[in-house]
Amino acid sequence: MTVRGAGVAPMRKRSAAARVKFHQGFLVPAIATFLLAFATFTGAIAAESALSAADPACLGCHSIEGLEKKLPSGESLSLNVPGEAFARSVHRAIRCVGCHADVDLASHPATTTDIRSLREYSIARAAGCRLCHDAAFKEHEGSLHSARVREGDPLAPVCTGCHGSHTVSPKTAYETCVRCHAAALGAHGKWLPNARLHHEVVSCAACHAPAAPRMLDLRLYDSATKRWVTEKEGAPLFEQLASSADADGNGLDAAELRNLLREVNRDAATPMTLRGRVELRTGVEAHRLVGKAQAIRACDSCHRYGAEPFENVTVSMAGPDGRPLRYPAQKEILSSALAVESLPEFYAIGGTRSTFLDVLFALALLAGIGVPVGHMTVKWLFRKNRSRRDRSGGGDDAR
Amino acid sequence: MQRIYVHPLPVRIWHWINALGFVALIVTGIQIRYADMVGLMSFKSAVHLHNWIGFLLVANFFVWLLFYLFSDKIKVYHPELSPMKHFRGSLRQLQYYGYGIFRGDPNPHHVSAYHKFNPLQSMAYQIIMLLLVPLQFFTGILLWDLKRFSGAVEFFGGVRVVDTMHVLCFIFFVGFILVHPYLASLAHAPSAHFKAMITGYEEVEKEPEELIK
Repeated sequence: MTVRGAGVAPMRKRSAAARVKFHQGFLVPAIATFLLAFATFTGAIAAESALSAADPACLGCHSIEGLEKKLPSGESLSLNVPGEAFARSVHRAIRCVGCHADVDLASHPATTTDIRSLREYSIARAAGCRLCHDAAFKEHEGSLHSARVREGDPLAPVCTGCHGSHTVSPKTAYETCVRCHAAALGAHGKWLPNARLHHEVVSCAACHAPAAPRMLDLRLYDSATKRWVTEKEGAPLFEQLASSADADGNGLDAAELRNLLREVNRDAATPMTLRGRVELRTGVEAHRLVGKAQAIRACDSCHRYGAEPFENVTVSMAGPDGRPLRYPAQKEILSSALAVESLPEFYAIGGTRSTFLDVLFALALLAGIGVPVGHMTVKWLFRKNRSRRDRSGGGDDAR
Repeated sequence: MQRIYVHPLPVRIWHWINALGFVALIVTGIQIRYADMVGLMSFKSAVHLHNWIGFLLVANFFVWLLFYLFSDKIKVYHPELSPMKHFRGSLRQLQYYGYGIFRGDPNPHHVSAYHKFNPLQSMAYQIIMLLLVPLQFFTGILLWDLKRFSGAVEFFGGVRVVDTMHVLCFIFFVGFILVHPYLASLAHAPSAHFKAMITGYEEVEKEPEELIK
């Protein structure tokens, strides 16, 4: 184990050999020890203050920046755990031992290592995720990513490849996927109209996990700050407002959604709106990802009335930890005439079309056919009158 | 019968491209909006066709606009500035279409080179060409690339508002495209106005006010 960046004060060269010996033998280790202890202490204090029941003992060493282990492969395995980030992660509740129960404190840190390479370690640690995330793990085993791992592709991601190790936090699939698939937008742009928009309003897994059930999430968005609206810690308001707007308790209908938005925007300087995004109903299915050959490419998967994603609708707000707080809504809100007011920023051509406009279209068709046919019929019925007038010279227009 | 030159060549070219284009836009628009009921082509093909035809018609609109802006023929679109006169003329025309035409009364409007629209047509075409067609094209362009024009889309109230405007115009043009040919058949002979829009010459019974060389 080595410590990098603990800080060693620059030393001036002294001519006296005794002084050199004194510096090298005592002063340098003393300063290094002091800085190490200081960093350890402050790191542990910082993490402890954010982690109510975390492991300050572990972070005492593992919050030291640059803490790493040399592996037989020549690679360096970082042993640093950013305490603050871990405190914000969704795994803070399970503490260090949740994933590292195999660590024996009596012999820790071990003097030897059985970790041969970073890749081997990542794959081995991923098996631990299964203890809690068995369903997601099973889905992942049927995915393209898992197949590539089995084939030995060194770039294929295991759990930590997408979710990180100690900073597991809610993030959109897009943010995660483009870290590796940076060329995805360009590739989609070659065949998908409005590719940039699709990448914004359709999660990657909605097309790349074709067997998974999908849904539409309508999330509160602040146009002024260009960010998702987030509920404040300790002040749960969204669910309370949504359930009081949903008077009959069967999911928000169009009028109830409008009332909810009016309530949310009661004191807002800039009105908050709802932006829609097609997602998977649960994150578990998002792990069975397929390649482009098997992914959904048919536009009418969404752009068709009654399309599956629009059968399940939720209205949501980002929670304090970033995870969405969802409240069910009725699918009819998407095709209601009131949607112009309550959902001005979401519309999927064909998929969420307005019933009111459909009625107007039918009336226009009826009028467009009925008016000429009716007029022609009346003209035909009056044909004898016109003939009589023509014979008597009463009309000079043959039209 | 006398023949007067009413429809100059650029107007005829614009008219027929516009007519065919609008029919194609309506068909592809129906396919896009009602993919669950109509299966003429794939959604993607319909979108691509719709976009390309839309751009063609935008360019075609400028043929019409520039021709009239730089020609004295713009007089045919000059509005009647006297509301009473316009109202009386419209009422006479309505009375003719709703009653007189069945009895064999003469058409109260007499076509001339600078006066080819009756009061009802004059008002309708001003609204259509200066308001509804530009609105249809403008909203169509915004919908073509929502990200590129996100600022304008937001300014107009969001994608659903823009789409609703586009669809309301579409609904109007569906009705228009069905009624328009029928009204065009109400000449002294059913095919007379159609022929005129091909040759440029209308056949009129009375002395034309102004002959075109």
